[in-house]
This record gives sequence, C-alpha cells and structure tokens, in this order.
Amino acid sequence: MIGVYREFEGCTRLMGHVLRRLRVLALPPVAESLIRQIYFTGASATAGMVLRGAFLGTLIIAYVIDVLDANSALAVKILIWVVLREIGPLIAAVLVIQRSGTAIATELALMQISGEVANLRRMRIDPRDYLVVPRVVGVALSTAALTFYVQVIAVGGGMLLSALTIDASLGQLANDFFLLASPVDFAYSMIKSLLFGVAIAVICCYHGLHPPGVSINAVPKAAINAVTQSTLLVMLLNVIFAYLVFGQAFFGLVTAKL
Amino acid sequence: MSHADPAAGSDSDSRHPAHARVALGYEPPAGEDGRIWIPKGGNHQVAGLSDARKARLLGAVLDLKSELGARLVLLGLEVDGLGPAERAALRARVAFLPADGGLLSNLNAWENIVLPLGFHAPRRMHGAAAEVNGLLEELGADPRSLLAKLPERMSAYEKKLAGYVRILLENPELVLVEDLLGGLDAADRAGAAGFLPAYQARCPGGTFVQIEGSPEA
Repeated sequence: MIGVYREFEGCTRLMGHVLRRLRVLALPPVAESLIRQIYFTGASATAGMVLRGAFLGTLIIAYVIDVLDANSALAVKILIWVVLREIGPLIAAVLVIQRSGTAIATELALMQISGEVANLRRMRIDPRDYLVVPRVVGVALSTAALTFYVQVIAVGGGMLLSALTIDASLGQLANDFFLLASPVDFAYSMIKSLLFGVAIAVICCYHGLHPPGVSINAVPKAAINAVTQSTLLVMLLNVIFAYLVFGQAFFGLVTAKL
Repeated sequence: MSHADPAAGSDSDSRHPAHARVALGYEPPAGEDGRIWIPKGGNHQVAGLSDARKARLLGAVLDLKSELGARLVLLGLEVDGLGPAERAALRARVAFLPADGGLLSNLNAWENIVLPLGFHAPRRMHGAAAEVNGLLEELGADPRSLLAKLPERMSAYEKKLAGYVRILLENPELVLVEDLLGGLDAADRAGAAGFLPAYQARCPGGTFVQIEGSPEA
C-alpha cells in the first residue's frame, strides 16, 4: 500500500514538473526530442491502424444491422457512440501503451541503470526536463492524432466496407452519419485521448526513471509495471469520463434514446 | 604536473582569503584520511583513490554536497556556506569528464557534444558547428568521421574526445578528468596528451585535475 502511494505521489510530482517546465520545449535539444517522440508514436504507428480501424467499423455496422436487425440510422448512431466516443480513444491508447509506453519505460530504465541519467545531472541538465517533458507532450499529442485516425478510418472504412457487404448504401450511411454526429463527440474524444496520452507517458516515464533495482533484470520489470499501471489508469479514466458524461444513464434516471 | 597538496590552510569562512587560491579542497570527516587541497591553475593529479573514495569525492564536488563532518572548498568558496543560487553558479564553473566520456547512447557525437550548450547557452548553438570542428581539428580528430557516429561505434578514445570537446565548449574554470589514459593504446594516449594544452589555450588560468584510481583497484 505504501508502494502504491509512493508511486502515485511520484507520478503526481512528475506531472507537476511537466506542467511547470513546459517552456523547456523551446530549447533545441528538447524540441528535437519532442519531434522524435511525435514521429515515433504518432506517425510511424499509423500503418497498422488502417486495416484494424476499417475492420472494426465494418464489424460494428454489420453486427448492428444483421444481428440486431436494425436500420442504417441506428447502425451509424451506434458507430458514433462506440467508435467516436469510446473505442477510438481506447484503441489509440492501447496502441500507444504497446508501442511507445514499453519503449519509453525500457529506454529510461536502461539509461538509469547504465548511468546515463546521472551523466545528464553531471551536465547540469535536469533529466526530467530532457527525458520526461518532451515524451509526455509528444505522447499526448500523438495519442490524440491516433484517435483521430482511428475514428476517421473506422467510421469511413466501416461505412465503405459495409456498403459492399450489407444491404445499406454508402450514401445513406454517410447521410445518417452527418445528421447524427456532433462536434461535441470529437471534442469529448480528443480531450479524453489527450488525457490518456499524458497518463500513459507520465506512468511510463516514472517507472523508467525508477526501475525496481540496478541490474538488467529491473528493465523488463519496469516495463511490465509501466504497461499494467498505464492500462489500468486508462480504463479508470475512461470510466470516470463515462460517469461524468453519461452518469445519469448509468443510474437508470435517463434512458438512452435509440 | 603537481600532486594534490594536503598541507594548506583550513579556515571555515566561505569567503575566507585563505581559500581564494584554492581550486579544490576536500577534507573527509574527522578520523579519515584522504585530504585533498589543490591550488588554482595548472595541471594536478589525484592518484591512488579507491573506487569508493573516488565516488565520494566526485559525489561531493559534482553534487556540491559534502558528507556530514566533511568539508568542501571549490574555486575559493566554502560550499557549505552557499545558498542554492550561489551553488548553481559555482557548479556551472566546474566540469567533469568521466572515464567513459559520459555520452548518451542514443545520440550521435555531435548531438552529445552540443547537448549542454543547447540547455545552458542555446544562443551559442548557431556558431557551435564551427567551434566544435575547430576544437576537434586542434585535438587531431576528423570532425566529418566522428560527429555522425553513435557511441556504440566509437573507440574509447573517441568517446573521451567527444566528452572532452563538450566540456571545453562550456569554458569551465575547473576540469576534473577521471582516468584520462585508462583503456587507451599508445597512439590514443598521445592524442589524450593534447587535452591539457587545448584546455589551457582556451581557458588560461583554469585548473585541470586528473583523478586516477588506485593501481590495485
């Protein structure tokens, strides 16, 4: 329990440091590090998302129309609820944890164990300024960007593939989408994915900078701790968001209008 | 080259005149030996330290924190009497070259060399390329072949060289070099012998201290 509290306190302090020291992003080495992080997390991860996103959208529309015997408007509505608001940010977060979270925790733990973090201090560079600030900002922006990709690909690709596989035209599905989707859905998912990104990066940086030992065995342990805890926090944040936005529906006071 | 002189004064006022000419003074806690007293300027060697004592000395100097009962005088100032801002200013005047060069493994030589400059003097980054090339040529290295290399592709000498050029860019008044010739062959030792003249030409009046471990360690 003390360990959990210590980790929570450490992550909170790290987050506070990032917020206080955002201005270091203007320094050339930190700006370079930010660009690298955005490229690694936001750009090079997109290739694998196209098919996954399109299949996901198709599955949702096909299930809703064929299995639930619903019309295209309901299928699109569910697509908006599920993909735009929930699945998009979650899939992006899971992908970021898998690719970048493990990489960040492992890299920082290796740097800590090999003495490179101490070398930074000897150069009078705060390791949190150089290693944490650009990663947190980069991962947050990249998670929001990936969420947007997932949403566009899953909704667009899903409608396109669904028009070929089920009895609903692309025009009809697109028309229903533009009638039902609102900018609030995008804003909600973007805010959520930014927070997911921040949470993932802070936890992974914290565990990378505080590996549970000084031997090489501590590196995979740091990565495991980072992945499990960031996954847990993302789920927790998702529940909190859902409670804040759809809380009344949870308690049966208001039923969703289908 | 002179060796650390253990026979100088030991007043405790942080700005005592007796300290004015001291570059590095370290007195371990009472009852322990290993007192170091180095005057400003010139080339000095602190030899025969065990790994533990070397780590304690370097920890005290680089973190500006002397152990309980120990005493540290740096560039004429008693460290214990200084506030945080004064400590930061004092620390900026001291540079340290670890035995392995102290490079970051995911940055190439150029990025490693200009990293501290990017943090502490970003405006100097524009002229840094010419300065770094000049320093490397002065030290007998080819900048074109060295600067793009990652540390994993560098020899032990090249790592020390990159770390040293990084230090020189900051014009420190006190340079501590750990195990300068350790792990180098005869040709590289001749190259490393050029480190001191390069420093003296760039920072006249600066103090160059070589810290060597004990032969048995």
